[in-house]
Amino acid sequence: MIPIKYNIRSLGNRKTTTLATALGIGLVVFVFASVLMLGAGISKTLSSTGKPDVAIIIRKGADAELSSAIDTANVAIITAPKQVARRANGQPDGVGEVVVVITADKIGGDGVSNVQVRGVPDDVWEFRPDVTIIEGRKPRPGSDECVVGQAVRGRFKGLELGQSVELKKNRPLKVVGIMEAGGSSFESEVWTDADVARSSFGREGIVQSVRVRLINEGAFEAYKRGIEQNRQLGFQVERESVYYEKQSEGTSAFIVGMGGTIAFFFALGAMIGAMITMYSAVANRRREIGTLRALGFGKLSIMISFMLESVFLALLGGGVGALASCAMGFVHFSVINFQSWSEMVFRFQPTLPIVGGSLAFAALMGVLGGFFPAVRAARLPLIKALKD
Amino acid sequence: MTLIGLGARNAFRNPFRTGLTVVGVAVAILAFVLLRTVITSWNIASEVAAKDRIATRHKLSFVVPLPKRYVDTIREVKGVQAVTWANWFGGKDARNPDAFFATMMVDAKTFLDVYDEMVVPPEQKARWLEDRQGALVGSSLARQLNLKVGDRFTLTGTIFPGEWVLNIDGIYTATRKSIDQSSLFFHWDYVNESLPSDRRDNVGWVVSRIDEPGIGPDVSAAIDKIFDQYDQQTLTMSERALNLSFMGMFSAIIKAIDIVSIIILLILVMILANTIAMGVRERTSEYGALRALGFMPSHIRIFILGESATLGLVAGVAGVGLAVPLVNGGLSRFIEENMGGMFPYFRVDTTTTLQALGLALVLGLASGVVPAIQAGKLSVVNALRRIE
Repeated sequence: MIPIKYNIRSLGNRKTTTLATALGIGLVVFVFASVLMLGAGISKTLSSTGKPDVAIIIRKGADAELSSAIDTANVAIITAPKQVARRANGQPDGVGEVVVVITADKIGGDGVSNVQVRGVPDDVWEFRPDVTIIEGRKPRPGSDECVVGQAVRGRFKGLELGQSVELKKNRPLKVVGIMEAGGSSFESEVWTDADVARSSFGREGIVQSVRVRLINEGAFEAYKRGIEQNRQLGFQVERESVYYEKQSEGTSAFIVGMGGTIAFFFALGAMIGAMITMYSAVANRRREIGTLRALGFGKLSIMISFMLESVFLALLGGGVGALASCAMGFVHFSVINFQSWSEMVFRFQPTLPIVGGSLAFAALMGVLGGFFPAVRAARLPLIKALKD
Repeated sequence: MTLIGLGARNAFRNPFRTGLTVVGVAVAILAFVLLRTVITSWNIASEVAAKDRIATRHKLSFVVPLPKRYVDTIREVKGVQAVTWANWFGGKDARNPDAFFATMMVDAKTFLDVYDEMVVPPEQKARWLEDRQGALVGSSLARQLNLKVGDRFTLTGTIFPGEWVLNIDGIYTATRKSIDQSSLFFHWDYVNESLPSDRRDNVGWVVSRIDEPGIGPDVSAAIDKIFDQYDQQTLTMSERALNLSFMGMFSAIIKAIDIVSIIILLILVMILANTIAMGVRERTSEYGALRALGFMPSHIRIFILGESATLGLVAGVAGVGLAVPLVNGGLSRFIEENMGGMFPYFRVDTTTTLQALGLALVLGLASGVVPAIQAGKLSVVNALRRIE
């Protein structure tokens, strides 16, 4: 084996070239890791939103809460089955909600966008105990008050504690609290009283979705059969976790698809960059290679040595890129959800597997970029190499 | 031969390395052109918007409809020539629910008057106006769904539940890009008549054609002022503003694409700078000889800059030469047919081409600056002595 020190010193000898190549690879790894982190952030947000032991009921044919409608009279039928868990007071553990999106001005001159507004019943806080008020207070039942998720607070005009949004002329909806929901998509919503939402948006007499907590995860199938059997009602039942997965399919496919395409092109460019560097390293060091061969190092060790050098080069860049991408953890990314047409705020989620995977990706670029130059180095005829 | 010409010839002394560099940079340019095209095609919708049309919707949200009687009120406003209305239907192809395309229910009689850039053969138009269950399909959607005039087509409603059987009465094209050719329009009456009485007579938005573009803001303000006294307030804006506000929802993605395009350019500089730096290092003794012959440091600098600019330009031409046929030839058809709603017209803009070529040249020059300065600083004796 040729000592590894030889390769490291060789890289140090050609600082500009090493730096340029490594930075190129670093940028690629940065983009690659960021895309994966955003993907992880999206799935984390949505998996913490949907619970496997909660079932969501919407009208058959509707593809989201937004396009669904259920008569309030039917809510009792939906929450009646024995698979639905009961609260301490004997009431079924379920909520019927109204969901609309409103157009709001973005702060920072980015035009307008949509925010999801959820009209919730008074007992929603019992149904979703992990949603907590971190500032201010809960809205009073039946009043024109609302709470705003911490992910959208301050991102839109009026959505900040003490401010208000106008639902109708001279009827402001006052923001009285900021809620936190364990990073789930509820943090991108505005919650107000269900009746207020109904009367302001012309949804009298209906809810758009009903959620029920089941006695356990396994009770879902039986519950679903029971509700969907009744064709007269025309409802569809889904696990909340599955529902949110489907909701994010479009958005995350778009981001991963586009990010993947970009990363592929980038990787191609950076690999060629590494190849150029390694080819010229081989060309410049013909005499050194000849000497090594004359000293008795075999063709294979020469090849391995140059491959290793290329991998070091790539890892150097990859390390910088992966490190830089971890800083993206502080960045919020707000994306339109293609299903609800409203904005959801996601965070880049740095995880160990992603950092490890990006380094592996860098190493792969080093291997692929270094392979042909290394073969050329190994094949150099000894006599000719020494003669140069 | 000029000094720059000599420099340019230097670029081809190592054809293998130059080849790799050109390929690497060309790939980067290709990715750059692709990303810019995504953004320019996205913006087309707002650029090509008809200037003499304004749209009125519910002030609060696009999901809340307006009462149909608002149409008659708007028709009376001074400056309004013709009025039509539409609802987002949100239907899916019953055979293939995953295909996404826009479905709208419109008032047939007035719709074609207001959207006069839509071209429908007269006999097809007559047939559509007569047929309550008739539908008009855009030419690219017709290709995508394999529909011909006379076909039956079933839509599954998401907002309006049920199966809606339609007759394909006509296929439209457009004389301007302000209307995309991947939508399906059918009769508003057909759906409205079958709704329960409390959901009837609601319109999603109202579109008016005005006497001349200049009066748009005044007419919009006049309309909103009338409804300010009503129960439901409205928001009226130009077609362009409407399209722009839609674009605003994607601002985070557009910003991300902008950042990524800059990263591509950085990678491109890294690849170029690497190649130039290697060439300069190999030719150090040559530059020493030239200096000894009486060439000035400025001559050496021109050599190097000429070389780097040539490399950049050649690679830029190769990249654009690759990107334009790829996008306009193959990709555009695929995207227009599958994502026509978002990218009705996906082509490489001339500005993008020029931008890419210009940037390749400028960045080529820029990547030669540091090596050129360093080479210019070398003392003759050191340059001649240096052997690598």
